Amino acid sequence: MLKIKGLKAEINGKGILKGLDLEVKPGEVHAIMGPNGSGKSTLASVLSGREEYEVTGGTVDFEGKDLLDLKPEDRAGEGVFLAFQYPVEIPGVSNINFIKTAVNEVREYKGQPVLETKEFVKLLKDKQTLVGLSGKLANRSVNEGFSGGEKKRNEIFQMAMLNPKLGILDETDSGLDIDALRVVANGVNELKSKENAFVVITHYQRLLDYIVPDFVHVLYDGKIVKTGTKELALELEEKGYDWIIDALKK
Amino acid sequence: MATLTLTDTDRFLINQEGQDFSHEAKTFIKIRELALKNLKNLDFPTPKMEAWKYTNLRGVAKQEFRPQSAINVVGSRLKSHLIPNLDAYVLVFVNGFFAPELSKVKEDKDGDFIVTNLNKAKSSFIKLVEPHLGFLTRDKDQFFANLNAAFSQDGAFVYVKAGKQLDKPVHVINLIDGDLVVAYPRNLIIAEQNAEANIIVSHETLDTAVALNNTVNEVFVGEGAHVHIDKIQNENTNTYHIGGDYAEQAKDSTFTINTIPVNGKLIRNNVNILLDGEGCTANLNGAVCLNGDIHVDNQTYVDHAKPNCESHELYKCVVNDSASSIFNGKIFVNKIAQKTNAFQSNANILLSDNAKAYSKPQLEIYADDVKCSHGCTIGQFDEEALFYLRARGIREATAKKVLLDAFIGEVLDNIKIEAVRTHVDGLIAKNFDSKK
Repeated sequence: MLKIKGLKAEINGKGILKGLDLEVKPGEVHAIMGPNGSGKSTLASVLSGREEYEVTGGTVDFEGKDLLDLKPEDRAGEGVFLAFQYPVEIPGVSNINFIKTAVNEVREYKGQPVLETKEFVKLLKDKQTLVGLSGKLANRSVNEGFSGGEKKRNEIFQMAMLNPKLGILDETDSGLDIDALRVVANGVNELKSKENAFVVITHYQRLLDYIVPDFVHVLYDGKIVKTGTKELALELEEKGYDWIIDALKK
Repeated sequence: MATLTLTDTDRFLINQEGQDFSHEAKTFIKIRELALKNLKNLDFPTPKMEAWKYTNLRGVAKQEFRPQSAINVVGSRLKSHLIPNLDAYVLVFVNGFFAPELSKVKEDKDGDFIVTNLNKAKSSFIKLVEPHLGFLTRDKDQFFANLNAAFSQDGAFVYVKAGKQLDKPVHVINLIDGDLVVAYPRNLIIAEQNAEANIIVSHETLDTAVALNNTVNEVFVGEGAHVHIDKIQNENTNTYHIGGDYAEQAKDSTFTINTIPVNGKLIRNNVNILLDGEGCTANLNGAVCLNGDIHVDNQTYVDHAKPNCESHELYKCVVNDSASSIFNGKIFVNKIAQKTNAFQSNANILLSDNAKAYSKPQLEIYADDVKCSHGCTIGQFDEEALFYLRARGIREATAKKVLLDAFIGEVLDNIKIEAVRTHVDGLIAKNFDSKK
């Protein structure tokens, strides 16, 4: 599904990703961990098409297409979804209109007909229940005045509505209490299928108690330096990253 | 031999001669004469004057604008200038002259209200008109207010009796037809104690010829009364529009004016509100979405003359292409106007490198126990918000439209009548879409 080869990216002339390789197959959940400044969020930004980042090398193939060649909206159309670390507040745009526009634009991209209001409302209700998002939030402006937990829930809700092939969660767990974490993880687990895949970027092991990864990667200085299974996450939680970094230096 | 040099004012005034107002009552002729006298002492506005710093009227001064009586506008042509699904009393003026065959008046003296043309009111309801007409436009130094006072052909007259309300809104449609026409529509609106009136004033042109529209709305809001005006300026790209909106509010009254310039060559609006009793509320809103090379200059003046009043002012501007938007808003708080709450905000989004926005928010406060705030922003699209929308699959053009609608929607939400809101949304969308 996703093949990243030798990906190099920089921002303001400063290299962040320095030859990153990653392959994600349908049905898999990959966790990407690493110390601050290792390039985790840069990876999410580059994959979703943030223009501030300049890709200076490597390739990203998504389902046979050159992902880096696509505009952000076309990446979403192809089925890539980024759950933001810091969801943006957009005053004056109602959450429901926003998601309706998004769902229909993605459908249009795929050559599917626009959803009838009835179908849309049904989908909306289902997915709101899935992530425990209050109906009241639907009529509020996008993320405006939402609590941290509500914002993250709203991200998962949007993901559920758009039903992507690849969901990238950029530190979705940061700032969440354990209840909110459980709801978010539950949403992801409900959405998980043989056809889709998730890349979970996180700082902490605790999210991985709820979203069980098939692979755990350690990102350090712009490269994946170690890959293991969920046990690696536990080891990292216990011992930190220094032992890996030390091993590299030798 | 002395050479006689004509000033711009002289030349302009010569072209205005020839209208015959001699049939009017003396009291009204006096108003015209006084205005003309004022005019003769005034220089034609130039950017050298502080009030006209950013707006150059050379194009008005150098062209030969003349009043021209209306060519008959047939009903079928009017249709496209109506607001769909708006149930209203419609008063139509062409080149400033009343078009009775296209209008629906209500002139029952014993009824709750009167909706007719000002000329009719000047003869039939002189006792209502006389104590009001011209009282808010007497400033000697206002060129265009005096110009309108001197030469106004006609306009709407809306009068609502104490404790009564209009059973439907009034839609005043001003049309311009012909080359180098100058029109002077003048509307007089009187709401007595606890009365209510909702008025839509729209300005449109019938063709693409060069024109000048010099308009005045004079509004008297009685004690506890509510008056709401939506002003929609949608004229051709060769038309100059210089409008003045003057309101005087008595105790506990509420006045709202929503100014919506959509199309034209140059638009200047002067909104002047006098809060002349305690407990008044004034709302001034502007939804300014501009493209092409239109130049729009909004000047507002809110005079808090009495204590315990509030004013809320929100002007939002979206400026595209090489259009320019000017906002100059002043809040004046009199020494005795304690407990004033006055808020003013002007936000601008520039969509292109050549778009221009000037903002000058001003407070002049002489009372010491007041809450006043003002602020302005000039910026571009919120890039983070734009990316967020695009990351959800929304195409850039759609995403921008969503953000613009949200930005300007905050102002348009002040339009009370749904049919008017829909109409305005459509005008703005059309403007925006045609620029792709």
